[in-house]
Amino acid sequence: MGFRAHACLFKDNETVGAVLQVFINGVMLGGIYGLISMGLTLTFGVMKIVNFAHGEFLMLGMYGAFWLFYFLGLSPYLSILVVVPVMFLFGLLIQRGLIQRLIDATGITQIFVTVGLSMVLQNAVLYMWSADYRGVKIPIGTMSLRIGDITISLSRLIVFLATLAIVIFLLLFLKKTSLGKAMRATSQNWRAAWLMGVNVRKIYLIAFAMGSALAGLAGCMIIPIFSVFPSVGVNFVLITFVVVVLGGMGSIPGAFLAGIIVGLIETFSGFLLAPSLGPMVVFVFFVLILLFKPSGLVGRSRI
Amino acid sequence: MKSPKNSVIYISGAVIFLFLLLLPFGISNDFYQDILVTVFLFAGLGVAWNIIGGFAGQFSLGHAGFFGIGAYTSTLLYFNFGLSPWIGMIAGGVLAAIVSMLVFYPCFKLRGIFFAMSTMAFAQVLNILAVYWTGLTKGSVGLLIPFTPGWKEFIFQDKAVFALVAFGYMVITFGVCHFVKNSKLGSYLVALRENEEAAQSLGVNTTWCKLQAMMVSAFFTAIGGTFYAQYVQFIDPDSLFPSVMSIRFALLAIIGGIGTVAGPVIGSFVLTPLDVFLRGWLGGSYAGLGFFFYGCILIAVVLVWPQGIFKLLQDKVELYIRKRSSEKSETRDVPAGRPGRVIKHAAAGRECILEIKDLCKNFGGLAAIKDVDFSVHRREILGLIGPNGAGKTTLFHLITGFIPPDSGEIHFKGDNITGLQPPFRICKKGMSRTFQLVKPFLNITVSENVAVGAYCHVNSISQAKRKAEEVIEFVGLGRYSDFLSSSLTLSNRKRLELARALATEPELLLLDETMAGLNPKEIDEMIALLRNISERGVTLIIIEHVMRAIMALSDRVVVLHHGEKITEGTSAEVSKDQRVIQAYLGGSYLHVEPA
Repeated sequence: MGFRAHACLFKDNETVGAVLQVFINGVMLGGIYGLISMGLTLTFGVMKIVNFAHGEFLMLGMYGAFWLFYFLGLSPYLSILVVVPVMFLFGLLIQRGLIQRLIDATGITQIFVTVGLSMVLQNAVLYMWSADYRGVKIPIGTMSLRIGDITISLSRLIVFLATLAIVIFLLLFLKKTSLGKAMRATSQNWRAAWLMGVNVRKIYLIAFAMGSALAGLAGCMIIPIFSVFPSVGVNFVLITFVVVVLGGMGSIPGAFLAGIIVGLIETFSGFLLAPSLGPMVVFVFFVLILLFKPSGLVGRSRI
Repeated sequence: MKSPKNSVIYISGAVIFLFLLLLPFGISNDFYQDILVTVFLFAGLGVAWNIIGGFAGQFSLGHAGFFGIGAYTSTLLYFNFGLSPWIGMIAGGVLAAIVSMLVFYPCFKLRGIFFAMSTMAFAQVLNILAVYWTGLTKGSVGLLIPFTPGWKEFIFQDKAVFALVAFGYMVITFGVCHFVKNSKLGSYLVALRENEEAAQSLGVNTTWCKLQAMMVSAFFTAIGGTFYAQYVQFIDPDSLFPSVMSIRFALLAIIGGIGTVAGPVIGSFVLTPLDVFLRGWLGGSYAGLGFFFYGCILIAVVLVWPQGIFKLLQDKVELYIRKRSSEKSETRDVPAGRPGRVIKHAAAGRECILEIKDLCKNFGGLAAIKDVDFSVHRREILGLIGPNGAGKTTLFHLITGFIPPDSGEIHFKGDNITGLQPPFRICKKGMSRTFQLVKPFLNITVSENVAVGAYCHVNSISQAKRKAEEVIEFVGLGRYSDFLSSSLTLSNRKRLELARALATEPELLLLDETMAGLNPKEIDEMIALLRNISERGVTLIIIEHVMRAIMALSDRVVVLHHGEKITEGTSAEVSKDQRVIQAYLGGSYLHVEPA
């Protein structure tokens, strides 16, 4: 058994280093998972609707950064300035045209309308831009920091720090601004918020658009790390569900923490079993969480 | 019952069957034959998905997993043991059914989107395993099934034979689905889809029902997987397991008519050729557009036309038939509340049917029920009153097994039923309840609603139907028997809920505010009805705020306040009790003389 072999090797100094490296990799991956889940956490927290097309929003953000780099040579980190507003607008339109109708719809409608949306976006992109894998090669993408035996990819470290910054920004926004407070009120009880004079429709509109903008931002941040192709969202969307559920369905710091846990599970099970089995262990873990701790890490849904 | 509607359906069904059976021989063009095979195959797959997704309302987005299990099982058995895919097909089906049981037994406690997510994860895990086990499955490279035509090999030179086999698959799946729909299981599945709690209160073992439906669905999906492997003669994880595959099964059912037997077949006949023609029409620039349109159609149908094509056709046909037969329409108005046969003859006397000892339940720091004890005698009517928030409904939840108590004991007919869960077990023992906020199964008729309750003790459809009609007449809903329960008024919904509970032949019936929201005339009718029920030997516990009803009906009254029993006695005694007045009106009313 591979597991036993590794366990015996722990005495070895080299292996301690390797384990530390796996840990760092897990945390960095967790930063990515946290980042791509922020948008869904916000929309689910406020609107109680799971957007099965969230992965495709991320894919659009990645494509946006790619084309801006390809045609204008714009660094993905700068393309945020363009992609985020565009995705915000895109979110507004989708919410107005489609998602607004789902607010008090039955489960089947909620699931299959967003599933349908994901099919439409994925295949429209496939038709326009083909199934080619496209990546952005920038110097930062290949740079890494070395601390002793540990290597940290610079682009992943940037994502991790950006995730932290976004968590802090979102928390301040939700706690300090009146719009944020209205969002929290709507999240807890939309009827009560509505009766207190909160324009719930507007809150939903803004929350969904912000979720979409966050997906766009995540897309820009990860394009130096992952290639983009039309069905890339499918690979990410289940992971974001895992993170959102584990994080307590709507909690921003919960999602950040859950992202890191999921990242650690994936890298460590990949290290102990086989790299390709990492995601599988995550999904099994996900079903177990759904069954035994459905309220997630931080208890009841609070944003 | 012979009706013009039935004969139209049978005749048109026979014509369609013969036409489809002969169709493969009428087509010689390879292209059209390919369409036909695909149409039949996906019709069957859609029907299989519909058993769990449509009837039971458990939206699986992971059926591709079963599809893959079927394809890999038969192919690997053929490669490694030379086993004919016909046998491998059955093996794959059985394996899929077993896997579905093991995986989804725990997952069925998840509702709605979370269940859908768990099914997605299931298919994804299988996908990863299929890629990983290169020794067994050759991983992403895939398996090429050699082209060796023959019946034993399940590969045919002539596509018409493939079409025939696919047709057979579709017909068998259709038949099984039809059988399930018109069985006790089908009735239970629809009930739990419409309202799981209400179904449980009527004796439905919801988890077991979902499991049965899932196993049947998984079995037939896997069979379709084997057929796919034999037809395409190449399988790899990428073509079997993607979520698009699972969505496609669901799509056919939703567009055709979710929860109907014929819906998915119609969906496949409309969508599959559309897909192929689009491909032909758009030629090389096709990539992605097919699924793009699928997505658009899915959104449009779900938003605008959630019932699907089949329901629309059905409505049209029914309208046409009704127009033609309207001349000989009969009226069947039966006076309400006429006492019928005694449902269950209970032993007379002062035997204790329910005994509650020191029952406690805390919600966090709040003591919802605290040291409550009382007993109920057979054939008695016990009133349970108390101000809002006194814990009356919680007490019902505890007695009927919807929530377990923290301590204390509940004895029913001498058996200790404390913490006996889930609620269907308690119903089977002869105790039934209604809900404060009525929970009718909205999208089925009144008689179908009541039949769910009747199935508690009978298995045959005709017996259940007869029983249901009897109870419906008894509660005075006779003329609404064929109405959708969503069309009933509140007063009639309360009667319906009463009828459903009565159909389970309870010895003890717990009624949670059956009079709330009714007008004075309706209250009088309800009082008469309850008295009638009591005279038939059913013991009643009634929670009620309508004091007139409590005074008129109850032999004894138990008063709850802040989760504690403050007194019990006859209605006259209780209404004069100082503590009761204080609990209802507050301390300052103690000294007010009654006017």
